[in-house]
Amino acid sequence: MNRSRRKNWNTVNAASLARWIVLTGFLALTGLSYVYLTLQLYHLGDRKKALETEVANLRMQNEVASAQIAALTSRSALQRRLKEGYLKMIPIAEHNIVRLTLPARNQEDTVQPVSNQRGAR
Amino acid sequence: MKWNSRTRCAIVCLGFVLLFSAFSFRLIYLQMIKHDQYAGLAAEKHVYKQPIFAERGTILDANNEVLAHNVPVETVVADATHLTEVEATVDLVSGELKLPRADVSEKLHSDRRYIVLKREVPKAITDSLRQKLRAKNLRGIYFEQDATRIYPNGVMLCHVIGFTDFEHRGIQGVEGSLDDYLRGQDGYRYIEHNRAGQELVLYRGQERAQRNGYQVHLTIDLNLQNIVENELDAAMREYSPKKATIILMRPQTGEILAMANRPAFDLNRRSDAKPEQMKNRAICDMMEPGSTFKIVTAAAALNEHKFRLDSYIFCEKGVWNYGGTALHDHAAFSDLSVKDILVKSSNIGAAKLAVSLGDQKFYEYIRRFGFGERTGIELPGEIPGLIRSPQSWSKISITHIPMGHEIGVTPLQMTAAMCAVANGGKLMTPRIVKSITTSDGKTVSSLSPIALRQVISPETATQIGTALRGVVSDRGTAAAAAVPGFIIAGKTGTAQKVDPRGGYEKGQYVVSFCGYLPADRPEFVGLVVLDGAQTKPELNYGGLVAGPIFSRIAEKAARYLDLEPHEEIRKAIPVERVALTNASRH
Repeated sequence: MNRSRRKNWNTVNAASLARWIVLTGFLALTGLSYVYLTLQLYHLGDRKKALETEVANLRMQNEVASAQIAALTSRSALQRRLKEGYLKMIPIAEHNIVRLTLPARNQEDTVQPVSNQRGAR
Repeated sequence: MKWNSRTRCAIVCLGFVLLFSAFSFRLIYLQMIKHDQYAGLAAEKHVYKQPIFAERGTILDANNEVLAHNVPVETVVADATHLTEVEATVDLVSGELKLPRADVSEKLHSDRRYIVLKREVPKAITDSLRQKLRAKNLRGIYFEQDATRIYPNGVMLCHVIGFTDFEHRGIQGVEGSLDDYLRGQDGYRYIEHNRAGQELVLYRGQERAQRNGYQVHLTIDLNLQNIVENELDAAMREYSPKKATIILMRPQTGEILAMANRPAFDLNRRSDAKPEQMKNRAICDMMEPGSTFKIVTAAAALNEHKFRLDSYIFCEKGVWNYGGTALHDHAAFSDLSVKDILVKSSNIGAAKLAVSLGDQKFYEYIRRFGFGERTGIELPGEIPGLIRSPQSWSKISITHIPMGHEIGVTPLQMTAAMCAVANGGKLMTPRIVKSITTSDGKTVSSLSPIALRQVISPETATQIGTALRGVVSDRGTAAAAAVPGFIIAGKTGTAQKVDPRGGYEKGQYVVSFCGYLPADRPEFVGLVVLDGAQTKPELNYGGLVAGPIFSRIAEKAARYLDLEPHEEIRKAIPVERVALTNASRH
């Protein structure tokens, strides 16, 4: 009886089993990590691309804005607006002029006016 | 023959060995020997070299005001083989891009794979078109990034700035001459894409970044340019000349402060411009300078010590027969000093100065002043002018050349010659480029003034300067060029126009005035030239037409440059007025 009973029992090598489980788990983890990291790389690549596109768009918008500023502040544009009456040049009123006592200056840096009534058109 | 099981097993194994060996050899052949070929084929399908376009550099004036820069635009293209609903696409595209429907329909009904529908489309329009195409699920229309050049000031400074063609190559003006600096260098990147055409960033290959074009800073001051252009427009309205040129130049450095020509064109609508409008007459046009050239004659005679400034020369009472031809003065002068020859602009006096020098020496001085050679300014298309060697002169050439006939000079050469008188005798190379920098402001090249040679001694230059002050006085030919508050030196010129069929055109004149301010410490030299001014014959003189234009420009330029008026005049101005003017100026 003892003999037949002994035949129905399979001995489980716990250490071996554990080794196989760890190995399998490690391989599975490695595989999953590989897949995950690869996907992450793709994902990061897409994000990088999206950011590059965004930067390029921002740069483009910046350039368009710069171009508009340059066009609107150009001399010809300002003169056109002056003619249209959109801008006006108003002489500075007397009460808005603050005069400082003129310092004694060297001849070189003395600023003097020029007038040409004859040349006035 | 009967094989036992062991033999059969061995044969089967051998079969497998041979089979797998064959596979292995094939694999080695494909993977190693044929690797490059197949890798190339695979790359052709999935890898391509994506260009990274360099941005063209900006052009700025001396105060960093933008003269030319880029605006991003897109080119709308189509692939006719990808179109799903042609008619709907034609309707949408022609409407959005404002193109004739028939043209778009003809293009899209072909079987071509690359059709350019419209170039330089603003981003706002392409964004709208893109959205509508997506909403209607229409395929086959693509957008390519591009940039266009815009010039915020339009007509102003058009001949100096120049423009680019549709491939962004500079073809005129600074755009043309400094194209190598402005253009930059395109980069590239090897990329792979998936079946849907999307880039796989993970598999990016070799990459080289683009180098954007350098910024070019000009010596032009847009404030002075504006003064010059406004006065030029006023002169065009008043005198309707066929052509006109004004140049302002700093005599000490040769920097061009302003340069304007008429006719002109709008840089933003250059396709409408005629070739005549595109010509920079300051460097591409030749003219007989007339009496302004007398400064060369007088300078040569004084520098060679043939005469002193106060030496008297008999001017034959208005008519001098030389070489069988009568030479006339506009008035019957008898004895004139060398100074008065310039002040009164005596042709006979100038001719006698040249005769005293002799053909060879006089020719030598003409060349020393830079006539007959290109000045070397950084602008394309400059001509050297026309100065014949003494061997080919006629007997009367020595009497005609001193008064600016029988020679061809460019307005820029004349201005440079006057600069030599103004700066103490040094011939400076005219310069239009101040510096070249990277987009973040690092200096790549800074151009310093170039003195070509000492043409005349400083003493001679001072003497000529003294004489030229007399020209802009009540005694001289250019009283109208005076600027109250300043002492001006200058010389008028009135030359009959050369007829291309030979001889001179009757009643057609090139009038000019070339001068500098202030006479004792010149800050700028100005030249005003009007070709074919429409005015009364008795008024068609350099002093009466070009002189007042110079006066107005000089006055405004002096205000802008904050120049100090002459001492004696300054004393007469009350202190309160000085303060008021200073306050209103700033």
